[in-house]
Amino acid sequence: MEVCKPSSTYPINRDELLARVDHDYELLRDLVNLFKRDLPLQMAALHRAIANEDHQAAERTSHTLKGMFLSLAASEAGASAAKLEDLSRHSEKTAFPKALALLETEVARLIPQLEACLVKTEA
Amino acid sequence: MRILLADDDAISRTMLERTLERAGYDVIAVENGRLAVEHLCRKDGPRLALLDWVMPELDGPSVCRQVRQTREQPYVHMVLLTSKESKQDIVQGLESGADDYIVKPCDAAELKARLRTGLRILQLEDKLVEAREDMRFKATHDPLTGLFNRGVILELLAREMTRTNREDSCFTLLLGDVDHFKSINDTRGHVVGDTVLKEIACRILASVRSYDYVGRYGGEEFLVVLNNCDKSRSLFRAEQIAEAVARAPVQTASSPITVTMSLGVLASSDWKNRSLEEVMHEVDAALYSAKGAGRNCVRSAHPQQGPEANYSKRNNPIVGSQ
Repeated sequence: MEVCKPSSTYPINRDELLARVDHDYELLRDLVNLFKRDLPLQMAALHRAIANEDHQAAERTSHTLKGMFLSLAASEAGASAAKLEDLSRHSEKTAFPKALALLETEVARLIPQLEACLVKTEA
Repeated sequence: MRILLADDDAISRTMLERTLERAGYDVIAVENGRLAVEHLCRKDGPRLALLDWVMPELDGPSVCRQVRQTREQPYVHMVLLTSKESKQDIVQGLESGADDYIVKPCDAAELKARLRTGLRILQLEDKLVEAREDMRFKATHDPLTGLFNRGVILELLAREMTRTNREDSCFTLLLGDVDHFKSINDTRGHVVGDTVLKEIACRILASVRSYDYVGRYGGEEFLVVLNNCDKSRSLFRAEQIAEAVARAPVQTASSPITVTMSLGVLASSDWKNRSLEEVMHEVDAALYSAKGAGRNCVRSAHPQQGPEANYSKRNNPIVGSQ
C-alpha cells in the first residue's frame, strides 16, 4: 500500500483567505467555528456512504466538503475532495481507500492551521 | 435590493451573506432549494437570486425551472453558483432558466459586478413593462376621461352577454347622453366641454360598483354595464347615476355649469339570443325616448307592467321605446 503524503505546500492560502473575508477577523472566526462544527459531520457522512457503497451520497458529500475547503482557501484539501467526488461519480470503489486516506491526512492539518491563522491575524 | 441566497454549505453561505450585506443587499439566506422556491415564488419575493448548484431537496437548475414555470411577473434574475466547470454543465444550467453563473469560491468583486449587471437587466425589464402597460392603457382607455374606450366597452358588453347566457345570470345596460352638450361646447368652448365630460365620467364612476364597467361610447355618450343587476333594480340604478350627474353644478374655468343626463335602460332579461348590434339598437332607442320625453330622465327599453312600475323618482313617466 502506498503511503499517503500530504502536499508539501501550506494547507491554507492565508492571503487568499483574508482577502476573501475582506480582513474581517470576526467573520473568519465564525467561519472557523462553522468548519469545526460541520467537518466531523461531513466526514462521518462520507465514511458511511463509502461503507454502504452509496456512491451518490459519497459524491454529494465529497462535493460539499470540496466547497467547504475551497471557501477557506484550502486548495489541496479541496483537490482531494474533488478526487473523491470524481471517483464516486464513476463508482471506482477500488480507489476509494487511498483517496480517503489522503483526504484525511489533508484534513488533519487544516484545523490547527486555521486556528493558527486566527492567532496570527489577531496578534 | 433584496436578494435570495441559497446554499447548503454554511461556510460558503455565511461568507456570501456577509459579502452581500457589505455591498448593501438585504439578504434572505436559505439552506436548500425548496425554501428558495418558496421565497422566489411569493408575490413580493426577491427579484435577485444567488443559487448554489448542488443542494438538498432541489438543486439550483431545478429551482430555476420551477421559478420560471410559476412566476412570470416580475422577472427574477437568477445566478447559479457552481464548481462545475464542464461546458455541458454550464449549458444545462443556463437552459434551466438561469441568467448567469459564477464559479465557486467566488471573487467578491466579480460577484458584485455580476449582480450589478443583473440589477441593470431588472431595471431595463421594469422600464419595458411600464412602457407596455402605458401603451396597453392608451389602447384601451379614452384619453380625455380615462374610461374604457368604445372598442373595449363593447368588447366587455359582448363578454357579459355571453356569460349571462351561459350562467343564466343578469346585467343591465345603460346608455347615457349629456343633455344639451353641444350648446356647452358652442357657448363656453371645447376646453370647458372637456372639463364637463371629465367630471361626468368621475361622477358616473363614483356611483357604480368596482365590478361594473363604464366606457365612453361617443362624444358625450357613456355606456354602463351593471353586472348582476336585474330588471327590478335597473331603473333605480339608472336614476342614481342621473342624480349623481345632476346633483351639483360642474366647476369649470368659466363658471359653474348645471349638467343633466338622459339614459336608456335595457335589462338582460329582456332579450334572448340577440346580437350586440340589436342590443345596442334597443338601448339607443330607449335613450332617444328619454330625450323625446324632455331629457334629464331615464327610460326603459321594455317597460314593466303595473301602475307604478314605469315612473322614475323624478315623476317622469317611464315610457317604452317600442
